[in-house]
Amino acid sequence: MLEANLNIRLLEQCSRCEACYSICPSCRHLPGYDPREVIKDIIAGRFEKWLRSKSIWQCLECHYCLEMCYQHYGFENAMTALRAVAAKRGLHPPQVKRGWDMFAKTGRLGEPALPARKKFGLPEPAAGGAEEFKKLHALLKAKRSEKENEKQRAKGQKAERT
Amino acid sequence: MKEFAVFWGCTIQTRFPFLEKSTRMVLKEFNLPFRDIDGFTCCPEKSLVNNVDHAAFTLTGARNVALVDEAGLDLVSPCTGCVSNLATVKSGLKADPREKGEVNALLKEVGREFTGIANLSHLVPFFHDAVGAHKIRQKIKRNFAGMKLAAHYGCHMIRPGYALRNDDPLDPKKFDNLMTALGAESLQFPTKLMCCGQGLDRVDQHDNALYFARLKLKELKAVGADALVLCCPSCFLQFDNNQFLMEKEGEKLGVPIIYFTELMGLALGFNAEELGMTAHRVDVTSFLQKWEAVSKMPLNGAGIDEAMNSAGALG
Repeated sequence: MLEANLNIRLLEQCSRCEACYSICPSCRHLPGYDPREVIKDIIAGRFEKWLRSKSIWQCLECHYCLEMCYQHYGFENAMTALRAVAAKRGLHPPQVKRGWDMFAKTGRLGEPALPARKKFGLPEPAAGGAEEFKKLHALLKAKRSEKENEKQRAKGQKAERT
Repeated sequence: MKEFAVFWGCTIQTRFPFLEKSTRMVLKEFNLPFRDIDGFTCCPEKSLVNNVDHAAFTLTGARNVALVDEAGLDLVSPCTGCVSNLATVKSGLKADPREKGEVNALLKEVGREFTGIANLSHLVPFFHDAVGAHKIRQKIKRNFAGMKLAAHYGCHMIRPGYALRNDDPLDPKKFDNLMTALGAESLQFPTKLMCCGQGLDRVDQHDNALYFARLKLKELKAVGADALVLCCPSCFLQFDNNQFLMEKEGEKLGVPIIYFTELMGLALGFNAEELGMTAHRVDVTSFLQKWEAVSKMPLNGAGIDEAMNSAGALG
């Protein structure tokens, strides 16, 4: 269900091209930041070593690499993938954790500043969609665990047969 | 013009309500058909949400787009991040019918459907395309002739190009054109398209974020920019708030940061205070003073024709 994945075939091209390296702001300005190394390790099955590194959070998500890329793929997808794995294991930066918790709980990353709105003569903010958002995310969760159970059952049946 | 909903996003409403104020004033002054609609949530933000859970990112974005789809409206946002994220989700779902089916199966259970018919625009390209330089010139009361302004597009106003399709993602022109329409000189400088670097503050790398802020601000000082003009709350946070933090540490760069809607508001005749510009952390006085000073300067070539054609000793 809607799961992210990484296209290794495209990444293999990336590891030989590197056209985006010269335009990536973090590559140019942050010492030690080199997504080319990360991509090589992902291809070689050695991604684990990057999960605790600061590097994978230094991609600015400016999408410059996507625009330079002949395949429209680029560094960013590799970084996004490693961030997602790091987050699954609870290795994401505290601020990302706080942001995610706020998002999951309220459907927003902050509530409208009401006293300041009054001061500037702004109208009442429109109603948010938090309730419906939470319902939708509960449905997503349910669907996921249903899928997971199916997978386990299929595995079990296969084991029984053999 | 088709009616549109304004997508304010979390950052503007939480941290910078004065940016909502100037945006509303400018939209009203141009008589643009905008509305507030109920039900929006976070767009959602890519670095916090997509990096943690791709499905939650897609589903939340699709739901927000479904709200405008159903209301028969377009969407315009003064936040680059919001538009970019929503457009990324929209174009992803339009290109992947299977994923769209999965999303809609879930949305159906809360009574919604993503169709993706609504146009999603950022305020700057919207002003360029839907209002137009000609109308802006007609409408403004005072222009910025004699001012050197540095436009900072902000990555997500134009990228990813395949999703936004509103300008050249590697060589954009529209923000520059609007600066010129307002009579200013739109400065060209090496880091013009470089990311502001604010993302690093969201992953607990404050020093690196400051490094990127400093890089651009120093360059703007060197090229003699009177202000940095942008239209993204995240870039605003980076250049206004972080510049202020550097000032507090004794590093004064002194580059006023002006939101696009504030610049437009000033040109329309509103004053800085009613536009909420006094809420900035970096003082904008130097920008306003220069503007006063240049508007008192003689116009280009003033008086030369009269002088050449006046009566004199030659008879």
